[in-house]
Amino acid sequence: MEMGALVVAAGGDLNGASPGSSLWAPAWPVLGQSVLERWIRMVQGLGVGLVSVVDRAEQPSKRIHTMVEWAREGVERILLIVLGSYAEIDLGDLVRFHYQGQHGVTRVFDQEGPLGISLLDRDSVLVDTERVASEPYRPSSRYDFLGYVIRLSSTVSYRRLVEDALQGRCAIRPSGIQARENVWIDPSAWLDAHVKIEAPGYIGPGAKVRAGVTIRGCSSIERDCEIDLGTTLDHTSILPNTYVAPGLYVRESVVDGTRLENLARSVALDLGAAGLLARISKPQPNGAKPLNLSAAVDLPLSDVDGHGEDP
Amino acid sequence: MTASPVAVKHLPEVNDSAAQRSFLREIKEFVEGSRQPRLIFDLSSIPQINPESIDLLLECVDHAERSDGEVCVTGASRETEVLLELTQASSVLNIFPTVLEAANGSPSQAA
Repeated sequence: MEMGALVVAAGGDLNGASPGSSLWAPAWPVLGQSVLERWIRMVQGLGVGLVSVVDRAEQPSKRIHTMVEWAREGVERILLIVLGSYAEIDLGDLVRFHYQGQHGVTRVFDQEGPLGISLLDRDSVLVDTERVASEPYRPSSRYDFLGYVIRLSSTVSYRRLVEDALQGRCAIRPSGIQARENVWIDPSAWLDAHVKIEAPGYIGPGAKVRAGVTIRGCSSIERDCEIDLGTTLDHTSILPNTYVAPGLYVRESVVDGTRLENLARSVALDLGAAGLLARISKPQPNGAKPLNLSAAVDLPLSDVDGHGEDP
Repeated sequence: MTASPVAVKHLPEVNDSAAQRSFLREIKEFVEGSRQPRLIFDLSSIPQINPESIDLLLECVDHAERSDGEVCVTGASRETEVLLELTQASSVLNIFPTVLEAANGSPSQAA
């Protein structure tokens, strides 16, 4: 086999939040798809069929073991991506550069330093596996990347990526259809006729947006959210399965279930007990109750029957 | 009747309905006997305001406005500032860092 790709998910948790007061988690979707998923698509777009994702929290020896196994099985080159950024690298160009290089390892840099992306020859993996993974000064070729890159280490950088995508400053295109200029709405989303959207904005699959809601300032609503009557979202991202109560003004924030991180004031709050936010449980396949809000809010998601109505 | 009187108050306990009734009665008496009263609520001892307290503040705004007065809050934590903005209470409250600035009515608003 020509090439395998090993993706090491940053943050030590593929699903939950990182430790600390920030809510940031690598699994957060960016307009319908997580950065991890986007990396996997980029790799698959290169024709790489062998792709493995490992948790960064696991022992480094495990990923070294994976690379050695691949090398022994005949994989000629291994693309190692330690996920800490979103970078629009032309992986085909990286491979061509690597072929022309003098070393068995090519590492990718931008102006701020290494991006955690390396391309390794089979021989270099088999010769000295521990050094391959841990030795930063191993002789290697340097691939300087000058395109769009953003290091994802916080909720602030997550919002920057969302805004860049909505404003066309990077190659990310929201999922769903472009309902009007720079407004993307998934066909399965339901919007009341009296919803105001100031472009650009994004409303993901299964989202329900009630009357009087205003969406502005590059705000995004990810899948299966519900935004209740009259609430305004301003420079805000609502993460999947989140309910937002009526009449709120949510500004410069990221909301994930009952938790809200306000970027302007650098503070994270849990507002579930206050009844202002709630986590919407995913529909059960056995027909069980589709909605289980942690706060006392009675809004059955199963009532959603409209589809992609243009506000 | 006193001209532009100022009162500095703390919010009562959330779960004490008797204290809340007494508090509102006191506020009402104060604003009804004043012209353009200024009510200042010192929130510096509250780590994070709750919706019930915000409702109480809004009732105070209602009473104060009937006498052409105003309600100020001071010493709000970042968490409280977020909640006041989120619930849009900040649009009818004057927010100052300190009681002194609120009493002077200086324009250096925190939010």
